[in-house]
Amino acid sequence: MTISHHPGDETLHKFAVGLLTPGLRIVVAVHLEGCVRCRHWIGDLEILGGMLLAEMPPTPMAPDALARILARLDEKDHPVGLARQRSLEGLALPKALEACAISPWRWFGPGMHWSRVRLPWAPDANVVLFRIGASRRMPVHRHTGLELTQVLTGSFSDQFGEFKAGDLEEADGQIEHQPVVDSVRTCICLAAVEGRIHPRGRIATLVQRVIGL
Amino acid sequence: MPTAEALVELVEAVACRRDKQAFAILYRSYAPRLKTWLMRRGLGEGPAEDLVQETMVAVWRKASYYRPERAGVTTWIFRIARNHSIDYLRRASNAPSSNESQEEPIETMATGEAFVMGVEREHLMRLALEKLSPEQSRTIRLSFFEDKPHREIAEELGLPLGTVKSRIRMALTRLRLLLQDEQ
Repeated sequence: MTISHHPGDETLHKFAVGLLTPGLRIVVAVHLEGCVRCRHWIGDLEILGGMLLAEMPPTPMAPDALARILARLDEKDHPVGLARQRSLEGLALPKALEACAISPWRWFGPGMHWSRVRLPWAPDANVVLFRIGASRRMPVHRHTGLELTQVLTGSFSDQFGEFKAGDLEEADGQIEHQPVVDSVRTCICLAAVEGRIHPRGRIATLVQRVIGL
Repeated sequence: MPTAEALVELVEAVACRRDKQAFAILYRSYAPRLKTWLMRRGLGEGPAEDLVQETMVAVWRKASYYRPERAGVTTWIFRIARNHSIDYLRRASNAPSSNESQEEPIETMATGEAFVMGVEREHLMRLALEKLSPEQSRTIRLSFFEDKPHREIAEELGLPLGTVKSRIRMALTRLRLLLQDEQ
């Protein structure tokens, strides 16, 4: 798989430092599963983070802090029952989504389906899967914050290029775009937005009302 | 701070023998530094202590997942602390949904690669860092450890916001190129 579109440097940096909101974070995590280049860079940034952590001047902990931690070590670790959903109607889900609750596909227009991805650790995150038929156009939209879209299968194009399986499109609040799926096959992608989507036109508004982003 | 090799042995002692003395040494090495880091990220003293406690308990519980060929102990603890801080800050910001809060599974997020021994890679990073200008190195440190809006960093450096963002970007790009040269 040749990957030609990656998250921006600022997004990768925020991921490594822990400043990316959970919805955007999981889309980047899915990208990392398939992208050696970004994995290496994140690995480097984490090494840097560790080194800078080791350089921090120490601040004394409360005198009884260690005793309190030691007292907790023998408690049974209660692992939370994770959903462990591995596929959605034949689509093998990325590992990063295994702990998420994923709804069945829902229709939102001819050839267009979506599915809500709920993150148990961040129930308010806006994350969805889209399954869009060959040659279909997504409604034109703009958003207030960052939008990340990771292609899982198939491909789509917009004014910024062609996005194939493994690619990630990063669109900020300034961008208005209308992705079009290629003519051969269905495209499935994972998307997260920060802030609200501003649809343009009647269909887009309807879509927003249905999906609730 | 114990040497990199000694740290690996300490984590292995915790993993294999549930050795509390080894754990106490890890605690003394990391807890006070984690506390400084979290306070620089804007947490008060109490929440910072809580979060250090969560992180150290996780170090105990996850010790058997640690793989020395993938990452140095410090990188591994940084990752655990970072993941816990994401969860903690989220809970703090929207308290109502905190009941069903679940931790982000660290294993799926663990991105360390076995492409170079962790320790070796750390050495390369140190070499690359030394080649940055003092200003670039300061910018990178600020961007990592002060969870302030870039606006505040801008004020601190007396620079316009756009300049700060582009300086962070440039410093990171330089670092990336230097690392490629080191390989």
